[in-house]
Amino acid sequence: MSYIELNNIRKVFKKDDKETVAIDDISLHIEKEELVSILGPSGCGKTTVLRMIAGLVEPTSGEVFVDGTKVVAPGSDRGMVFQDFALFPWRSVRKNIEFGLEVNGVPKEERTARVDKYLEIVGLEKFADARVHELSGGMKQRVGIARALVNHPKVVLMDEPFGALDAQTRNIMQAGLIKILDKTDQTIVFVTHSVDEAVFLSDRIVILTKRPARIKDVIEIPWPRPRDRASPEFTALRKRILTELEQENVMDQGAPADKPPKLTGGLLNRIRHRDRPDSETGDK
Amino acid sequence: MFGFKYDTENKWHRLGRLLLIMAASLLTFVYVWWILAIIINTPAIPTPDLVWAAMIKLFNEGDIQTGLSMWDHMAASLKRFLGGFALAFGVAVPLGLLIGYSRFLDEFSRPVLEFLKPIAPIAWAPVFIFATTLTIGPILVVFVGIFFPLLYNTIFGVKKIEPSLTDAAKTLGAKERQVFYKVMLPCTTPYIMNGMRIGFGIGWMCIVAAEMIAPLGGGLGYFISLQSTLSNWPYVFVGLGVISVLGILTTGLVDYAYRLMAKRMGIE
Ligand SMILES: Nc1ncnc2c1ncn2[C@@H]1O[C@H](COP(=O)(O)OP(=O)(O)O)[C@@H](O)[C@H]1O
Ligand SMILES: [Mg+2]
Repeated sequence: MSYIELNNIRKVFKKDDKETVAIDDISLHIEKEELVSILGPSGCGKTTVLRMIAGLVEPTSGEVFVDGTKVVAPGSDRGMVFQDFALFPWRSVRKNIEFGLEVNGVPKEERTARVDKYLEIVGLEKFADARVHELSGGMKQRVGIARALVNHPKVVLMDEPFGALDAQTRNIMQAGLIKILDKTDQTIVFVTHSVDEAVFLSDRIVILTKRPARIKDVIEIPWPRPRDRASPEFTALRKRILTELEQENVMDQGAPADKPPKLTGGLLNRIRHRDRPDSETGDK
Repeated sequence: MFGFKYDTENKWHRLGRLLLIMAASLLTFVYVWWILAIIINTPAIPTPDLVWAAMIKLFNEGDIQTGLSMWDHMAASLKRFLGGFALAFGVAVPLGLLIGYSRFLDEFSRPVLEFLKPIAPIAWAPVFIFATTLTIGPILVVFVGIFFPLLYNTIFGVKKIEPSLTDAAKTLGAKERQVFYKVMLPCTTPYIMNGMRIGFGIGWMCIVAAEMIAPLGGGLGYFISLQSTLSNWPYVFVGLGVISVLGILTTGLVDYAYRLMAKRMGIE
């Protein structure tokens, strides 16, 4: 059995008699210490997949297993990092990172030691007593990452963690994450809609179709990290994935007969523009 | 003039300017009052000098009718006010948290609350005083006055909680109780404080009004209504002034606490 298993997952959202099939049928196995990225157009169901592993959303059918145990509820063995950081504004940086240890009843002394260690790993020792609103976006997300890691979870689920950051900070954070991985061998499921980011970080990239999501392609990347964005194979792979994602976008332009998109031209264009996976400026 | 130059960067200059303007404002007020009192020429509007003399006497000796000094009246009103507030806080905050949390409770309580809300708190005074006692009645009026703003703000606060914060807490291992105490409660605190801020203003008006209806045991409202029936108008004016100053102090205190906390949490 794999470390993380999603077996025939299907998710239908029901809202006011309207049914949205978010995820059609996804099976995915992830090994220990792997970093798997999930790529796909916006609204295709990436967040939903992550939230099902976290136990925050229940699949309509199918099962999720983490380390042999079926996921039925959220727990500290599955940490999550949010795009909007989701830090507790009434707590200091230290207290934010300490939250998980506190609710899990870890003794005070061990708590302090562990928080100190992760403050150092994310380079925020000097900001331990700062308030969240005093931090920059990149620093906030480093708190978010430390807060998830300090619990020693089996897997960290990252939902577009660098999506709210500017291009430069984003690259710094990606490099920082790789350094952290050197020290912790953390298993990570990483949702992004940046192809560049996925190729830069992942052991494996899972490409989803547009909604209802299915797995379109899985790409292994055996190259060591850190990777050179300018290398020919990096560029080539990036291009290949972009083409695959473009297909997803081109397909809904044709408005297939079974599911015509009920969107006006302007809105459709806007969404498509946002979806363009290379629309981020992070690559130099 | 005198070689003095106002400097906006200088803290003391700014403070001095503020104090000067405040003094000028108050002096203008006293001046206009004095003129009006002379023009209108009725005993019901005494001149400031008479009121000043009355104030000294009331704080030092008190009035003959009740035998209480102004300090005693202040204490009596404040005690009732705090009693009403404590009661409102103890009921409105837990209830607001529950109603905000449970959709059923919200729908269930909404019609009753909407029905009771438009009733001015002081309209309850005769009922409360008759049903309880002259001492407890006014406390209940304050309770009603503070209850609604506090309740509605608490409910609103719970509804405004970012779902990602509760999600984060759950993925960090928090159990339902812990999510409630460690996330929902602190998230709602600024809204509770805001409800207190509004409630304090209303509650303070309620206590004075209620005391006018409940003639027992002192209190500013009782003092004013008693002295006006005796046509001791300078005394009445002292009462009005004390109500204002205490009102500023009580609401100012919550306001200060609110700002302090908002700053800590980075709320504008
Ligand atoms: N709680 C929910 N209720 C109803 N629909 C939802 C809910 N969560 C997500 N969806 C829908 O499911 C689809 C996939 O959403 P999501 O997983 O957030 O996509 P992504 O993260 O890939 O942008 C979207 O169409 C979204 O509107
Ligand atoms: Mg998403």
